[in-house]
Amino acid sequence: MRIRLDDDACVGHGRCYVLDPSTFGPDDLGHCELLVAEVPAADQDRARRAVAACPEGALSIED
Amino acid sequence: MDPRDAVNAETGEANPYLPWVAADPQPFYERLRAECPVSSMEGMAGLGAHIISRYEDVRWALRNPQIFSSDIVAVDIGQDRPLIPLQIDPPQHATYRRVIDPTVGPREIAGLEPEVRRVVNEVVDRFVERGTVDAHAEFTVPLPCTVFLQVTGLPIEDLSMFLEWKDEIIRPGGGMLEPEEATARRHAAGRQLYDYFEGVLADRRRRQGEDLISRFLTTETDGRTMSHEEMLDILFLFILAGLDTVTSTLDCSLAYLAQHPEHRRRLVEDPSSADPIVEELLRRETPVMQIIRVVAEPVELHGVSMSPGDTVILMLGSANTDPDEFGPTAAEFDPDREANRHLAFGGGPHRCLGSHLARLELQVALQEWHRRIPDYELAPGAELAYSPGIREIEHLPLVFTASAPVG
Ligand code: HEM
Ligand code: SF4
Repeated sequence: MRIRLDDDACVGHGRCYVLDPSTFGPDDLGHCELLVAEVPAADQDRARRAVAACPEGALSIED
Repeated sequence: MDPRDAVNAETGEANPYLPWVAADPQPFYERLRAECPVSSMEGMAGLGAHIISRYEDVRWALRNPQIFSSDIVAVDIGQDRPLIPLQIDPPQHATYRRVIDPTVGPREIAGLEPEVRRVVNEVVDRFVERGTVDAHAEFTVPLPCTVFLQVTGLPIEDLSMFLEWKDEIIRPGGGMLEPEEATARRHAAGRQLYDYFEGVLADRRRRQGEDLISRFLTTETDGRTMSHEEMLDILFLFILAGLDTVTSTLDCSLAYLAQHPEHRRRLVEDPSSADPIVEELLRRETPVMQIIRVVAEPVELHGVSMSPGDTVILMLGSANTDPDEFGPTAAEFDPDREANRHLAFGGGPHRCLGSHLARLELQVALQEWHRRIPDYELAPGAELAYSPGIREIEHLPLVFTASAPVG
């Protein structure tokens, strides 16, 4: 599973990295940074919930 | 009074600024969304004061600042200039946020947790032996202000002075004054607050510490630190935007949990559930009911034309309980809902600058409260009065099982 981050849409609500700190992390501004290219199977449910929690729709699942 | 009656579907007018709407806004929001998704402020039909209430529409407005501008000095609150960053539009807005955000980012704020936890316990210690408390006056008001003093390294003795300035700026004379006198008192208090912060900044330039203000002076982004004006404005906004908002969220949260023991049990048994519980309280209660924008480009929504200069109220509370976004259980309290994309902190470029600090304060406050005061209820006969706009509860009398202070 790969995740796409739309940098222009992210404004730093921080829900993604709070809900799934192994897939997402904050940069200095508190905006999202993807920590992994491929989300390992064990983390996928958590990553999906984090993607769904973004109020800006900045995250999507690529495959 | 039925909150539904604050919407007149025939004339398309509505009034969110009524105390009985603030006390029980869900029926008001529901009617607004269903019957007039773009309504007019009551008494202002045709005069360009619109209320937008559906989730998708509010989100769209938040994310299109070129149409819905923040370049508005909606109320003259004694500020020296348009407030950075609240009243500044993109693209300039981003240049400010880029340098301010890192000083209150998630990592910096997470480091404050032990201090915040200690402050919460100190505040609880003052009444925990008594078994009764006005949680508004004694917990939710002093808490955010004490946290502010603590993280900025200011003397705790200044607490009552700050609370007075804040009230003078937001509601001079308790909101009962003639407009001219109110403006004059606002200005006087605003002036005093700016002067105070001028002194603090001068002092910190001489003696830097580990506190938040020292960090303002040293954090560098894109090769620059915050300007003097930015620092003053941001300190001013911390007082204006960061105290009553936390107070009202805690008011609404404790009032809700006092009346729903089944939901607070989880917080008592599992403090790590504070994150989803706080998010659900923010969504369902939406303490900042609405925010304001001014129309910058002609636009039409649901058949209503809006012209440049028109005022727009974005009803965050109604967006946050819209079944089109949150499904058939939108009105229920469900911390386990699949996705909670609430807009209680706004959205788009003006997303609350203090949201990381606010979330920390709210989670730690509710964790420590429920650890020390697991059983509480509204005092018999208590009637709760909510203020419109920002839903503070004037008096929140609670009774609970007394225990010993820890500090
Ligand atoms: C639960 C508590 C809080 C709530 C519900 C809340 C809500 C909001 C909302 C809805 C906005 C958007 C305003 C708009 O778009 O016009 C906002 C902006 C802002 N908030 Fe908060 N807030 C809270 C706590 C705080 C705290 C603790 C601080 C200070 C540390 C703070 C500082 C700010 C600032 C500076 C802005 C302006 C950001 C900008 O325009 O770029 N807020 N807040
Ligand atoms: S939740 Fe969305 S807006 Fe917030 S940091 Fe993550 S990607 Fe960005």
